[in-house]
Amino acid sequence: MKHEFEVRAGVRAGALLTAHGAAFGYRKRAVVSGVELRVVRGDFVGIVGPNGAGKTTLFRGLLGLIPPLAGRVERSTRAIGYVPQRESLDALFPVTVQEVVELGGLNKLRGFRSLPAQERARALECLERVGLADRRRAQFSTLSGGQRQRVLIARALMVEPELMLLDEPTTGVDRGAQAQILELLGELNRSQGLAVLLVSHQLAMVRDTVQRVLWVAEGGVREGAAAELLAPEHLDRLYGGAAQGVGEEH
Amino acid sequence: MDELDAISWAQRLSLFRWAVLAALLAGLVCPLVGVFLHVRRTSFYGIAMPQFATAGVVFGFVLLPWWIANIGLGGVELFEATHDSHAVLTYHMVWSNLFTFGGLLALLALGRRGGSEVGRVAGAFAIASAATILFGRMSPVGKGFVDELIAGELLGVGVHQFETLAVVYVLAALLLALFRHDLVLVSYDRESAFVLGKRVFALETLFTAVTGLVISVGTMVLGPVMLFGLIVLPAIAARAWARSMRTYFVLACAFGLAAVALGVTASFELDLPLGAAITGAAAVLLLPGALLRRG
Repeated sequence: MKHEFEVRAGVRAGALLTAHGAAFGYRKRAVVSGVELRVVRGDFVGIVGPNGAGKTTLFRGLLGLIPPLAGRVERSTRAIGYVPQRESLDALFPVTVQEVVELGGLNKLRGFRSLPAQERARALECLERVGLADRRRAQFSTLSGGQRQRVLIARALMVEPELMLLDEPTTGVDRGAQAQILELLGELNRSQGLAVLLVSHQLAMVRDTVQRVLWVAEGGVREGAAAELLAPEHLDRLYGGAAQGVGEEH
Repeated sequence: MDELDAISWAQRLSLFRWAVLAALLAGLVCPLVGVFLHVRRTSFYGIAMPQFATAGVVFGFVLLPWWIANIGLGGVELFEATHDSHAVLTYHMVWSNLFTFGGLLALLALGRRGGSEVGRVAGAFAIASAATILFGRMSPVGKGFVDELIAGELLGVGVHQFETLAVVYVLAALLLALFRHDLVLVSYDRESAFVLGKRVFALETLFTAVTGLVISVGTMVLGPVMLFGLIVLPAIAARAWARSMRTYFVLACAFGLAAVALGVTASFELDLPLGAAITGAAAVLLLPGALLRRG
C-alpha cells in the first residue's frame, strides 16, 4: 500500500504526530489544506467543525488512511490506538467481546501465529480497564452503543498506545455512557500521559473535555484553546453561519 | 437402479470412494471460504464465480480441436480428449482458472469505481451463464460435459481428479487456518488492520486467490451446483447458531460435512445425482435456524 504508516525518527523531540502544511482530500482535490499540527504526550485534542467541512478527511489523513496531497504528516510512534465509529463494524460477524479486543493484539503477530496466552490475559486486563470484563463472552453486536465504544477503546489499549485517535466516540450514546467514555479517556490521558485526538460534532462535549481544538471549516483548519475557540460568543462572532451546522448536543 | 440396489452400501462406498472423498473434502473446505464470503457480504461471489469457471470449461472445449491441431496436448488425440475429460484434466483446469480469476479481477477492478456490488455480481452471473450456453452451442461435447457437471453426476470422479482437488483444497484450508486472525481482522475492520500495520492488500489478494482456486478447481471436479451449495449454505446455516468466530468456523465445517453425509445417503438410497442431493441437504440444514429466526 502506498500510504503505509511512516515512522520518522526526525519528528521534533516529544512530538508524537506532526503535520506541516498538509492538505488532504480525494482524487487530487483538497478538502482541507494548510494543516499545521503538533501532538505531544498528554495532549487532548478535538477536531470539530460543521458537517461536511472535512473533519473525517483530516482525521483519516492524520491517521495515515489517506496520503497527504501536499505537505507532510509524521508519526514518531507505531503505538497508535485507533477507535473507529462502531457503526462501521458489521453485526453479521459473530465476534465476542474478547475476540474484538484480541484483534488489537495482532499487530505483534507476524504471519500465522496464534495470539500468545499473555496477550489473551492482557485483553482481559484491557476489558477490566474499561469495566467490561464480565461481558467478555457476550457477542459484540448485542452490547449497547456505549459498551461497544468502551470495548473498542479496550481494543485500542491492546497496542499499548502513546497516541489514541477516536472517530466520533460519543455519537449515538446516552448521556450516562457518554460521561463514562469521556471519564475513561480523561483518566488515561492524565494517568498515562496518553495523547488523545478525537473527532466529534458535539461541540459542548468537546469544549468541556479537550484542551485544544482544531476547527475545520471552509477548507482550512484553525487551532486554539477549547474554552476560547468554542465559547458560544466567539463562535458566533468568528464563524457565524458555519457554526450552526455543528450539533451542540446529541 | 436395479443394479445399484443389488450392491451393498459398503460396495457402493468402495466403488465411488473418490467421489465421496472429494465431496467430504469439499464439505470441509468450501464452508471456510463461505464463512468469509458471508460475513463480508459477498456470498454472491460464491454463485457467480462457479458460473465463470463453468463458462471457462466449455470455452476450453470450443478451443480444444484447434489447440490439439496447432499446439498439442502431450500427444493426446482429439477423440480421446473429447471422450475422456480425465485425459486433459489440466487443460480444463487452466481454462476454469482463467475464467474464474478473470471474472474476479474484472469485478474487483469495477468495484474500485464504486456503485452496487450486488448489481455487478448479478450482472456477471448473467453474462457467465449466457456465455456457457453460447459456448455450449459451439461445442456439443463441452455442453454435454457441463450438463453432467451441473446435474452433479460426480460419481465418476477418479483418483486423479481427487488428488488434484485434495492438493488445492488442503492448501486452501491451511492458508485460511494459518491466516485466520488476520483475515478476520481485515474483513471485519479494514481500517484498523491498516493502522495496526497489517498488509491489507496482500491479505485480500491471498483471500481472493484462495477463493478463486477453490471455486475453479471445485467446479471442474464437483460441478457448480454442489459448489454453490457448499460455499453458501453451510455458512448461512452456521451463522444462525454461532456465538463467536471460532464456533462459526467449526459449525460451518460441521454443517458442510453433515450436508455431504445426508446428500450421499439420499443419493445412494434414492438414486439422485450426488451434487444436487448434497446441495439439497445443505438447504434442509438451513431450516432449524430459519424456523427459530436465529442469526
